[in-house]
Amino acid sequence: MAFSATRLTRFCLAALALAAVAASPPRAQAQQPATLVVPQLGEPKTLSPNFASDSLGFAPTSNVYSHLVAIDWGVNKGTGAYGDLAESWSTSDDGKAVTFKLHKTAKWHDGKPVTSHDVKFTFDTVIARKYPAFVVLKNVREITTPDDNTVVLHLIEPEVGFVPMLAQVSTWTGKIYPKHLWEGQDGFDKGPLVNAPVGSGPFRFVRWERGGLVELEANKDYFRGPPKIDRLVFRQVTDVNVARAEFDSGRLQFLNYEYAPPLAEVAALRRDPKLKVVFTPSHFSRDIQLNLTRKPLDKLEVRQAIAHAIDREAMNRLAFSGFWKPAVHASVESQGELINRDARFPAFDRAKAEALLDAAGLPRGAGGWRFDISVTNPNFPDCKAMMEVLVQQLRQVGINAKLEQFDQATWFRRQAEKNFDISCYFTRYGPDPDAFREHFMTGGGRNNMSYSSAELDQLATRAATLQNKAERTTIYHQIQSLIVRDLPYINLFDEQKTTIIRTGWSGFNTEPEAFDKAITWFGYYTVTPPGR
Amino acid sequence: MNLRRYVVLRLLQLVPVTLVVIIINFLLVHLAPGDVSIILAGDTADPAYLAAIRERYGLDRPFLEQLWRYLVQVGSGDLGLSFRSREPVFAEIMSRVPATLLLVGTSLGLSVIIGTVIGTWIARRPGSTTDSVVSALAVGLFSVPVFWLGLMLVLFFAVQLQMFPAMGMSSVDGPREGPGRILDILHHMVLPVLALMTVSVGQYVRLARSAVAEVMGESYITTVRAIGFPDRTIMMHYALRNALLPVVTVLGLQLGLVLTGAVLTETVFSWPGLGRLIYDAILARDTPVIMGAFIAMSVTVAFASLITDLVYAFLDPRVTL
Repeated sequence: MAFSATRLTRFCLAALALAAVAASPPRAQAQQPATLVVPQLGEPKTLSPNFASDSLGFAPTSNVYSHLVAIDWGVNKGTGAYGDLAESWSTSDDGKAVTFKLHKTAKWHDGKPVTSHDVKFTFDTVIARKYPAFVVLKNVREITTPDDNTVVLHLIEPEVGFVPMLAQVSTWTGKIYPKHLWEGQDGFDKGPLVNAPVGSGPFRFVRWERGGLVELEANKDYFRGPPKIDRLVFRQVTDVNVARAEFDSGRLQFLNYEYAPPLAEVAALRRDPKLKVVFTPSHFSRDIQLNLTRKPLDKLEVRQAIAHAIDREAMNRLAFSGFWKPAVHASVESQGELINRDARFPAFDRAKAEALLDAAGLPRGAGGWRFDISVTNPNFPDCKAMMEVLVQQLRQVGINAKLEQFDQATWFRRQAEKNFDISCYFTRYGPDPDAFREHFMTGGGRNNMSYSSAELDQLATRAATLQNKAERTTIYHQIQSLIVRDLPYINLFDEQKTTIIRTGWSGFNTEPEAFDKAITWFGYYTVTPPGR
Repeated sequence: MNLRRYVVLRLLQLVPVTLVVIIINFLLVHLAPGDVSIILAGDTADPAYLAAIRERYGLDRPFLEQLWRYLVQVGSGDLGLSFRSREPVFAEIMSRVPATLLLVGTSLGLSVIIGTVIGTWIARRPGSTTDSVVSALAVGLFSVPVFWLGLMLVLFFAVQLQMFPAMGMSSVDGPREGPGRILDILHHMVLPVLALMTVSVGQYVRLARSAVAEVMGESYITTVRAIGFPDRTIMMHYALRNALLPVVTVLGLQLGLVLTGAVLTETVFSWPGLGRLIYDAILARDTPVIMGAFIAMSVTVAFASLITDLVYAFLDPRVTL
């Protein structure tokens, strides 16, 4: 083999020329009218939201599909649910039948009208297959369709929180599918529409470029009127710093809370006229669950000592630059009068914590440590920041705490198996206070603490069917008193989302002007580009 | 040995290799805590749905039966459906291969060429100031973490100078076909290729330098020099051919990792490559995709080593197949 120097030189020159061509930007393209590019940290698992809980699929599918009822960040001002396909609804006197009247003008993206039969078909399939939305629909005995625009859900037990809970779950799963296209498929995970969805929402599906983006276009025939943006692109930007750089250089108009800047930068960002920083509270808290089956957490004094050892102000300063809202009640601010303001978690008092631990028979031993404990968290940046501080605060009263981290699948598995000591958690208080049952009732789906109080079980069960609002509120106040007394969990902060928006753009789902209009937490229907 | 027979024999070796790869990885995925049912059903799922998913995907069966079923399925040429997207695994993998090949292949090719040229050039005067400076630089570049370098490139070229895009493989509004599409992709390739290349070029500089320097000291080079051949002919015709052998070996090893060697770069630049697909599949315990990707990787490694051996025989007459 003989390749000459000239050939090698020529090859190198050719390579350089190629690089030079590549370096010149592609030819100018015609200005596309109003495209919103929303960055996402990764790839959706699927575009069929009804069979899988898929955090990266929520945003694309919530804009393609419609829901019977919906909820968005308006939950902050107390909205339990508002109609999406449903124009109105009413509950029978015995609380066992909810009748929904549907909008008559809603159409599928293929032009066919949306009818009550689509709703029945979707929910019947979810119930039969126990898909994720079954968690709410399990209380449905039968679904009837008196006419094309009326659907009645007959409940097994009266449930005051049923519609808000349906709205809440619909934001993730249980979206309404077209019966005429899905009938005959073996479940919602089979067939041609799984990853090429046909919905009735404000945007139509255009394409899914694997590993790259999901593109939607405005649905001009949307029954609420066409959206103000023409194209909605969910683009994968897998590195938070790159997304921030692209926002700074003007190529992105919006960074949602997954890309939230470090809160330490917020003061500086607020002085920048090119953008606005939006804080949005939610109906979740950031808290810790304590595993009551583990020693010594089974002792009330130990849990009280842990509560006394926590300095929320210091944690706020260190983890959130002071921008979050410490929570001292067993609820969050968005719950308004449902909060029992007399029921408070034990206040920060390090001396009292030490005294309680001494009294519990756990004196400081070798190295000053009383006992070992592990602290874990789901893969949320805020939880991680909080737990790092918590570990230090526990160590200051002689509890030898150490941080353990797992990937998401492992963490979920360990929580479900109750294989943890202390874990950061995200307790939910709305859209209906019936949420307390899920978290604190014996055997509740999110009661990872193994908390069991006959008194609380009885109160929560009664409140779930109680129509009288004042009486209901009193019961939830009692429930909070029990929780603060028994300490199966310790509330730390109201959850808060940070988004940054380029000046001129408005109507994003985290902004108050879009509350109760955005169509789910992931909806972009209300976004208005500059000049429209 | 007849060349065709040799190639066929080498390819047949793939069967036992793939079998072992499947068994080991099946076991590893099985040992990891959690399974896809939790990922799909969410943390508040009904136990009945968890059970239904496990049943539908065959996860409720004994390990050996799952393994046997998978082997039979792969034996019939079917890699199955992804647990997550419910699309054929083969199509999922193939949709990501071009992006990765383009990124890693280009940077590998450029690093080999540029690294060899620079290494050869400095080897002509071992110990000179140029040699010391370039060698130190090569080691330095080799030690730079690629994600950090990627971010620095983004800051400088994408944010400050606004010359190159930093995310994805093509523009949202870019042309979908024709030369415009190719230019758009090339434009998006510059930064990730530069990041990967900068890190790997140092390795080839070092390799080529030491190999060429060693060969230049051999007596046959002294002989051709004494005969009076010009320097360039000596270098190109006599020295480089022998000096290239270690470069080919390393290139062959890296070629085998071409499909998965760039997860970090793919993450920084949101490149729609195979590395990220595998990473996501592992986090979601998507066994069919994980297994499919491992099979694709073992096939690539086998092919790369076959090609390396063939090239070796071509470059070095002492080696016969």
